Amino acid sequence: MALVKTVDTELGLIEQAQQGDRNAFGELVRRHYESVVHVVYRMCGEVQLAEDAAQEAFLRAWINLPSFEPRANLRNWLYRIAVNAALDVLRRKSETFVEDEETLMVSDQMPGPEETLIRKEQVELLQRALRNLPEASRSVLVLREYGELSYQEIASVLDIPIGTVMSRLNYARNRLREVLQSHAQEMENAHA
Amino acid sequence: MHEDMRALLNAYLDGELHGWRLLEVQNHLTSCESCRNELRELRAVSDLLRAAPLPEFTPAERFAANLALRLPRRPLKAQLQRGPSLTWWLAPLALMGLWFFVQTLIWLTTVLSLALSGGLLGESFSWISGSAAQSNLFAFLMNLFGGHLGTATQSTLSLLDRLVLFGNSLINQWFWQAIVALLYWLWMAVWWLRTRGRAFLPRLARA
Ligand SMILES: [Zn+2]
Repeated sequence: MALVKTVDTELGLIEQAQQGDRNAFGELVRRHYESVVHVVYRMCGEVQLAEDAAQEAFLRAWINLPSFEPRANLRNWLYRIAVNAALDVLRRKSETFVEDEETLMVSDQMPGPEETLIRKEQVELLQRALRNLPEASRSVLVLREYGELSYQEIASVLDIPIGTVMSRLNYARNRLREVLQSHAQEMENAHA
Repeated sequence: MHEDMRALLNAYLDGELHGWRLLEVQNHLTSCESCRNELRELRAVSDLLRAAPLPEFTPAERFAANLALRLPRRPLKAQLQRGPSLTWWLAPLALMGLWFFVQTLIWLTTVLSLALSGGLLGESFSWISGSAAQSNLFAFLMNLFGGHLGTATQSTLSLLDRLVLFGNSLINQWFWQAIVALLYWLWMAVWWLRTRGRAFLPRLARA
């Protein structure tokens, strides 16, 4: 019952926003901002870039909203726009300066039990490896892990066949698995 | 077999396998240790990715307020991108219905007049042909001069008159067909402008 009501009002907001109602659009932005900014953050890895990309995405959404089919999934449509906006923002940024890998690597190393430290290292390692993945497989992995979309949804968001979703996801996770393995190898060698 | 199953491990991990494929992978996993290890590692990758902490972002309320200041006036062409209304889509259907109606009418009158002039329908229908088979002018002329003309001349003139009548009705029919076609083409042109033209018009405006 509550779900139906939410869907109903969302549909109403979409239709109002399509007519040019800025307040209705503002409400849609407030509702979807969090999921959009989280996904673009995982694409970019920086808060400022992510918020720029999110802003870009919502601006594009506002302009293209009249062509949106109101009964389709708005969040997935926003993801589609947001992933492209994130890639654009990253491209623009890479033209201005090269990312400083070192600053990302040496982050605050809080003292703690060794196991937690290793896990924290691994988490950071994977975030860096994620950002170094090719755009195509990174988009698929981000939508899967952080957008929590099904393969079918990813296929329609990125406009690719479902087989391509699977192969890109295989590539991405296997690549990260290798990074993790070689890191473990290095740690062993260092201890030996 | 093992390689086929390896390619499905991610889909298995994501709960995207169903039916016999799911059973196949489950069966293979019970017997293949290397696949079990790989699945465990893939799951670790997924868990580590999801464990990454999120930083603080601008709160939604402030983000939306900032965005509102930057929203441009939506261009008019964007508002036209909505699909045409139902009546819009039904217009050609109505036109085609009209077209068929006119065609059927033409066909019926042609058949009927042929049948009448051939006498196929017999005497009982002659009242139809009474008015249709000769013009008022012809009847008037016949009343005035009919007595002075021979039967052969009379029937020749009558045939000519019928031909003129038939021609007139054809021109009438063509006129209506042309109107219908014109309306249909007009509809097509507007439809084209509203869809294809959208991509086309801004370029023209900029040039
Ligand atoms: Zn195996």
